[in-house]
Amino acid sequence: MKTKALAAAAAIVLCSHAGSLWAQDEVSHGTLYGDLQNVTQSMLNRASGDGNNFLHANGNYQQTRYYPASQINTGNVKNLRPAWIFQTEIVDSMETSPIVVNGIMYVTTAFNHVYALDARTGQEIWHYTHAMGPVTTYCCGPNNRGVAVSGDRVFMGTLDAKLVALDAKTGKQLWETEIADPELGYSETMAPTVVDDMVLIGTNGGEYGIRGFVKAFDAASGELKWTFNTVPEDSVGVWATHDATGRDMLRDIEAEKAALASMGDPYETLGGGVWQNPAVDLESRRIYFVVGNPSPDLDGSLRPGDNLYTDSLVSVNLDTGEYICHFQYIAHDVWDLDAVSPPIITTVKDAEGNDVKGILHGGKTGHVYVHKADDCSLIRFSEAMVPQENMWVLPTAEGARMLPGANGGVEWSPMATDPNLHMAYAINLHQPMTYHVESTPYPEGKIWLGGAFKVIPEEEQWGNVTAVDYNTGAIAWQVRTAEPMIGGILATAGGLVFTGEGNGLFKAYDSSNGGELWRFQAGAGVNAPPSSYTVEGRQYIVVAAGGNAQLNYKRGNNIIAFALSD
Amino acid sequence: MKLPLLVLAGCLAAVPALAKDNFVLEDEVALCTGCHGEDGVPVATDYPIIAGQQYFYIFTQLRDFGAGRRENETMTPIAAEYDRDQAKEIAQYFADKPWPDVPGSSQEGDRQLAEKAMTAAECSACHGKWQGDSRIPRLAGQQVDYLATTMLDFKSKTRKNAPDMSNLMADVSDDEIHALARYLSTVVIH
Ligand code: HEC
Ligand code: HEC
Repeated sequence: MKTKALAAAAAIVLCSHAGSLWAQDEVSHGTLYGDLQNVTQSMLNRASGDGNNFLHANGNYQQTRYYPASQINTGNVKNLRPAWIFQTEIVDSMETSPIVVNGIMYVTTAFNHVYALDARTGQEIWHYTHAMGPVTTYCCGPNNRGVAVSGDRVFMGTLDAKLVALDAKTGKQLWETEIADPELGYSETMAPTVVDDMVLIGTNGGEYGIRGFVKAFDAASGELKWTFNTVPEDSVGVWATHDATGRDMLRDIEAEKAALASMGDPYETLGGGVWQNPAVDLESRRIYFVVGNPSPDLDGSLRPGDNLYTDSLVSVNLDTGEYICHFQYIAHDVWDLDAVSPPIITTVKDAEGNDVKGILHGGKTGHVYVHKADDCSLIRFSEAMVPQENMWVLPTAEGARMLPGANGGVEWSPMATDPNLHMAYAINLHQPMTYHVESTPYPEGKIWLGGAFKVIPEEEQWGNVTAVDYNTGAIAWQVRTAEPMIGGILATAGGLVFTGEGNGLFKAYDSSNGGELWRFQAGAGVNAPPSSYTVEGRQYIVVAAGGNAQLNYKRGNNIIAFALSD
Repeated sequence: MKLPLLVLAGCLAAVPALAKDNFVLEDEVALCTGCHGEDGVPVATDYPIIAGQQYFYIFTQLRDFGAGRRENETMTPIAAEYDRDQAKEIAQYFADKPWPDVPGSSQEGDRQLAEKAMTAAECSACHGKWQGDSRIPRLAGQQVDYLATTMLDFKSKTRKNAPDMSNLMADVSDDEIHALARYLSTVVIH
């Protein structure tokens, strides 16, 4: 009885979608690689040269966010107009990176809804609502940063710490697996990364005393293939006294050693979330990701040692998850100035001026760090993109003022690069704060900051869009914005960078000099990374305007696609 | 300072030290409803509504009372008897009940005063429209006197199980707290 009813329902679903499936067929001619329904590994590998699709959260496995199409360029961007606007059902923070496959777009919203849209018209094809479990965790808004695609599947991580696989054609759930126990504070907001039939995903929870990881799941079955714990059982390290830029972090090493002797290694609740996608190097079969803050954020007394590998760039073997190398920016961080913005693989000049494979990371400290991919070592760091003051004053009970504030100079927002200009583009925050410490024991998976970060209300806040020459570390240009920036940025072969602001402005700049060339008022905060794609010979720029919970920017529910007016 | 280690070890252990013997859900629930109300309406205005409250929030409060992170003469000894699974069963029982209709009471000017505090502290960033979600309790239509008491307890750090709330309440005046309590007691969810 039940099965019959289900079969009938399925038939109706198929019929009612016949129209949109046919529409998908129509747009298939525009594609460069692969066939309509299938995202092949070869398409995913070659995404950096694919001017039709947008297949990865950050454009390609190298995460350059450099889009190779140039139909929209410095000469004509002034004619950019909304082509369509799609309104989701959820009016809340949007951080999604739209993914586009052969004319079909996949976007997500707060509380884990997924929409498949016709990328030419914004017409809805299907809508998936995750059946949320009773235990969800979100320190910073019920956000989701998007899906990953591979084969005929779409993958998403959820606020209740599940990984779900959906049928790309229908939005039907194929499997669901628990990534970690949500009661302990594990949850997901990042988009997964898929490579060679493995779905890679990190975890939130650095504010809840988790033990962080990156896990790989089988794309077909959801079975766990490997786990890399971002906190090793020996998390002590080398008792580093200075940060990556050579500044004294004022650690009381003797007190920490005494604490270690009495309480043991704190690895089980040491945090170390991984908020953003790994960069994938298929040549060396390694991935590179950054690990977030130690738990509790502000209270170092309960976690003696360097707290490896928190606040670090880490590289592991793609196939096994085995450790290869790491570089720690801040040992024993007590300011939450951790590492979140996704790393980028690109060719950089080493100290001797030779071209080497490099890794870029935009740190919450406000520096762009340039590493050698080979051994994770630091080649250079950029000039500070935001004001730095009083670093590294220790948090106190009354509160100590230090810049940058705890949202950092660069938050989770991905950077973009232009390899021809050897520039990295970052969006920045300037938010003066005081850092307060108040020690409390581990609260069994409830939020555990060990103090507070407080915005100083009378001090001015602002944002920047900054271009850094990663071969020298110099700031090439910088543009001030009215509010601290969070979301992301896209560079294109048209000589442009696109990025949005909390006040609803979405702007295009000349990527060589920062000149503003175009702007649009979206009506709600544009705090998500833009994407680009081409269908039937027409290039689009697309971005979500849903505001932001963390910075309390005006909420909305729009996905807006722009194209040149005829 | 050995204490943190002990606390940690206790928390991470799969089997808690205590489990109430002869646990029968109906009997335990009958104990609760003696104060929290058989029909969900608490017997006194300073007792919180727990019928229809968020499951995970009820569970964490029972754990917090039990572990001494939240201290209360009445609730601490009651909650200390349950292990995790028993606490979950009880939490589920109350979460499944409908939220009762208890008339709130607000005065002229409450809304303005409440709005001022709500804007300054950005309550909505975590509490949304006061409906609650998993770790966040429902506050819409909660009992006036309970709301005021618990916010004052956050402020004075008598209630210690949510340091974030204590930090926020430190900057909210007592007048604003009373206005907030009255305002929240009248918020209706459809
Ligand atoms: C003798 C009266 C009494 C009994 C019996 C009682 N409670 Fe309570 N309960 C209270 C009071 C009073 C408070 C408020 C405590 C405070 O202000 O910290 C409270 C608070 C709570 C809270 C916290 C609510 C919130 O919004 O934070 C929960 C959950 C709770 N009780 C559950 C229970 C359960 C479950 C039982 C039965 C096992 C029970 N109580 C039995 C009086 C009682
Ligand atoms: C940073 C997030 C955050 C903000 C901002 C916030 N709250 Fe809370 N609030 C919480 C959490 C989480 C809890 C549950 C605490 C716990 O688990 O014990 C809570 C609990 C409460 C409670 C206790 C409810 C009960 O049943 O005992 C009240 C009352 C409350 N909040 C009111 C407010 C008001 C009013 C504001 C704004 C002035 C505010 N909160 C701002 C996160 C927040």
